[in-house]
Amino acid sequence: MKIQREGESLIVSDIHELTAVNSSSFRDEINSALTGSTVVIEIDLSNTQFMDSSGLGALFALYRSTIKREGVVLRLLNPVPEIEQLLELTQMQQLFEIVRR
Amino acid sequence: MAAPSLEPARPATLRLAFAPTLASAREVSVAIRNFLAEQGVAEKELFSYELCIAEASNNAVEYAEGPCRNLKPIAEALFTPTQIELRVTDHTAGFTLMERLPPPSPMTDRGRGLFLIQSVMDEVRYLRGTNENILVMRKKRRAVRPSEAPVSPSPSNIPSPEETRIQLAESAAKIAKMADELLLRSETLSSVFRCCSELGRIDTNSEIFEGKLLIDLLHLTSADWYVLRMISPDGRRLLVAAASEPDLASEPIELPEAGVRAIGIEAIVASSQTSVRFDNRETPDPSEPLRAVGPEGAGYVCPLCFGGTLVGTIAVGRRSGDFPLGRLQDEVIRAFAEFLAIQTLSHDRRKREVRNRVVARELEIAQHIQHLLLPRELPQLPGFGLVGGWQSAREVGGDFYDAITVEGDSLLLMIADVMGKGVPAALFATTMRGLLRGLAERSSDPSQLLCGLNRLLYKELSSVSMFITAQIVLVDMRTRQLTAASAGHCPFLFIPPGPRRVSSMPIRGLPLGVKSHTSYPHHVANMGSPAALLLYTDGLTDTRNKAGATYGQQRLKAWMQEEMIPGRSATDMRDRLASELNQFRGDTEMDDDQAFLLLTEDQAAGSKRPSAIDKACKLRRGSFLFPANS
Repeated sequence: MKIQREGESLIVSDIHELTAVNSSSFRDEINSALTGSTVVIEIDLSNTQFMDSSGLGALFALYRSTIKREGVVLRLLNPVPEIEQLLELTQMQQLFEIVRR
Repeated sequence: MAAPSLEPARPATLRLAFAPTLASAREVSVAIRNFLAEQGVAEKELFSYELCIAEASNNAVEYAEGPCRNLKPIAEALFTPTQIELRVTDHTAGFTLMERLPPPSPMTDRGRGLFLIQSVMDEVRYLRGTNENILVMRKKRRAVRPSEAPVSPSPSNIPSPEETRIQLAESAAKIAKMADELLLRSETLSSVFRCCSELGRIDTNSEIFEGKLLIDLLHLTSADWYVLRMISPDGRRLLVAAASEPDLASEPIELPEAGVRAIGIEAIVASSQTSVRFDNRETPDPSEPLRAVGPEGAGYVCPLCFGGTLVGTIAVGRRSGDFPLGRLQDEVIRAFAEFLAIQTLSHDRRKREVRNRVVARELEIAQHIQHLLLPRELPQLPGFGLVGGWQSAREVGGDFYDAITVEGDSLLLMIADVMGKGVPAALFATTMRGLLRGLAERSSDPSQLLCGLNRLLYKELSSVSMFITAQIVLVDMRTRQLTAASAGHCPFLFIPPGPRRVSSMPIRGLPLGVKSHTSYPHHVANMGSPAALLLYTDGLTDTRNKAGATYGQQRLKAWMQEEMIPGRSATDMRDRLASELNQFRGDTEMDDDQAFLLLTEDQAAGSKRPSAIDKACKLRRGSFLFPANS
């Protein structure tokens, strides 16, 4: 997993999978990278091949912490169709801005 | 013959026990994914199976407690071409699996795992044991048989562009037809639904409802006219209930008697209960009512019947040109016809119910009036007992009696039978009772009283062709004299002085309401001692037994002779008479009302006299009402 900062954006990429095994560290790493000036968080899911309910839980936790910070935008980039279906099935697609680039 | 497919006798199975850690659980779900991939499961399916194993395995790890934390969960995959079964054995306290979990709110962090499993798999079961539970998840698959596998076309198999175009056109036509059919069916359904919801409204009137339904029918069948005919209440004619244009609302059509050939298309349809197509260009009969749609008109006539009951006919068609009627249109018209028939029948039933309720209410009112009509208490004179009995054949009877004390020691007894039933009879009875009480204040002479009653009631009675038979007897207790007059009423029975023999006293006189001016002669007789007098209505003597024989005056006389033993009280005699009549009648239905007034005399002075206050009695059909004391 890679975390880059570009100006006011925090870009998380290279997530091979998001599961019960790594969801806590995923959350912790992003939280510690957040600064007061962060305005956009982009989670790049292009390489994410698998996600389970713990992974969804981690995204949900991230969503909860961003709504507390007004004006912060949370974006999911290029999820594979299976993960997009998963987000729809759990109605979580309503919570995120899903972007394809 | 199709080549026999080779299927493995046993499913290909992978069974893995894993260390109770999330990392091992993750390894196991990847291993199962790979195993299924080797069995040829498509890439897009693999994600779901991996997810299910992952969710179940994570739960098995996360919810294990105490010493069970050291036990290894087991994950299994069983593959056949038609089904994939995944199993995870956990060593937790277990949970209760709901039939189908609702989707958890996106705002919650719980319950997603099981929800995902149940969403993805066809069947999920949780088999619970002691510290060992198995979650079984099954998914049906469509087996891909070799014959279904895509075959690469050989050059000779490739259709020419022309052939492809024809095939394409054929398919397009087929799809268009199917779409039309679907549309027609859905419109039929929605029209029916619309009408059903309209029907639910209280203010819906059936003509508006039919009109809307028929306009929908025209649209759906591309017809431009309709004629709806309903069977007349007597069932002998077909009357136009609705027509698309006024000129189509022709005369009623007579329905033929059974066995006679029907004339006219609608009559034929009604009597045969089968649909008929017609075309006026081929119908030479100038008297045919459907010629009203024009010499070029054509159409279809369908019977409206449901469950074998015919309620009318529906005709639809076009005024000119062909009326194309495919299987589908035919079906639509039949569906509408059946729906209309059902609605009409249920509408009629509702109307009947309302009418029955009104009639029942009317009877209730009349019964109430009648209850008021019979005196709640009969006057009693010292040393005498007076009781009345009344029994009605129907809810409301026309028989009634009254007794008034006059000049201290005389009794004016009146018994009457209004010829008619129901509310009108009860109303006349009330009126008559009131009039009698008024007239009795001026005169106690039975002849004068009947004369007065006839004069006052004649106009009303004759206007509705009703009459009343009545008898008035003035009993002078002091002189033991009876003065009686009768208006067509049956004779009363009494015991004159001398040897105790029951006599009857026939008196001539026209019933009230027959002639405007008539006189009623009076007769005088003396009572023996102790006194015994019975006034009654002909319902008593007309009582029939099982064999059809009437009770008759002779029997009544004989009964009185036998039973009127000095010393028996009036109430005792009343009970004996009632049981005598009921015994004679047995199970036979009563066909007329019965009423009587019975006067007895105490044998010895100072004997116990009946109380002057009678108790109000509740009316009950088929049993005597005894307004006198008991």
